[in-house]
Amino acid sequence: MDQVISADNLAALTETQLDVLERRIAGKYMNIVPWGAIAWGIGNCLVFIALFPLVLMDILPLWLASPIATLSILLSYLPSHEAQHNIIAGRGKPLRWLNELVGHVSTIPMVYPYRVLRATHMEHHKHTNHPDKDCDIDTHAKSNADFLLQSLKNRQPGSARNGAYGRCLQRIGRSELMLDAVLMQSAYLMILFVMAWTGHAIEAALLWWIPKMIAETYLTYFLAWAPHYPGTELGRYRDTRAFQSRLGNVLSMGMQFHIIHHLYPRIPLMKTPAAYRELRPILQKRGCELGGL
Amino acid sequence: MGQFFRVLLSPMAFAAGFLWPLATQLLVGLGIVEAGWPAVIIGAAVAMPLGILAQIRGSWIWIK
Repeated sequence: MDQVISADNLAALTETQLDVLERRIAGKYMNIVPWGAIAWGIGNCLVFIALFPLVLMDILPLWLASPIATLSILLSYLPSHEAQHNIIAGRGKPLRWLNELVGHVSTIPMVYPYRVLRATHMEHHKHTNHPDKDCDIDTHAKSNADFLLQSLKNRQPGSARNGAYGRCLQRIGRSELMLDAVLMQSAYLMILFVMAWTGHAIEAALLWWIPKMIAETYLTYFLAWAPHYPGTELGRYRDTRAFQSRLGNVLSMGMQFHIIHHLYPRIPLMKTPAAYRELRPILQKRGCELGGL
Repeated sequence: MGQFFRVLLSPMAFAAGFLWPLATQLLVGLGIVEAGWPAVIIGAAVAMPLGILAQIRGSWIWIK
């Protein structure tokens, strides 16, 4: 197999042979239970929740707890993302309960309901960069500065982004899932309101409200904007790119290799760099945008 | 029930439920106003116009 994956030999392969080879390589990285992501998703949520009593009982100073909360919210999405793609366990598998548990629990800090994320994310995969059907199309922007401006606009109550997931769920006939979003958002607001009116507004702002805004912007930049930039092309090998992040792979949350995720969503996040390295010559031959990575 | 959630999730509710006490506590915490009714009233004067702006215009910061 290794001998086959050289640029010279690839040129001799037919389209079907290339397909088979690509899928065989990708298959090596699938069906692996990501125990690290499981521990990360549940542990991170517990850390986030623990910050509140620790600060309110003066055990942890707010100046230290606030950056921890920001980091915790930043880290809360990706374990759920593994669950959305059934990477931990598919339907009917013994560990299915764990897949669903991680999915539901890990996004509590960022106040996003798992079932809504899963349904809309599948639509994003099906229709990446489609102007009407990609529910993340509102995150596209022409440049870094434009992204920040767009992000600010998207955060406003009257923005089109605000209703994007609702419209997507309606289009696919899953409007009932909006109840999850309404209940979760209501619980979040009630907690903020109660904390605020009992004299802990600054704590609520620095532990949840502001960290959530910072984390959402950072996550959107690396998960939605950067891997799909410029976001104008459709098609399996052109709608997502690899890119070299100035911040490196860890700080860009593994998204440099997001093209692998879109091609093979069942490959766990931690395995995408290795899969990318092995698939790179094939992706190059396919005409993918690899951003010098 | 639908009406309850519509109100709870509205910008005005956020201004009254969170921004108002936040503004009050920030003003007191930074030593700008002494704790008491004046702080509460000034907190409302800061937060509620923002809530009205967001409710009517659909934006907390004017730009859309």
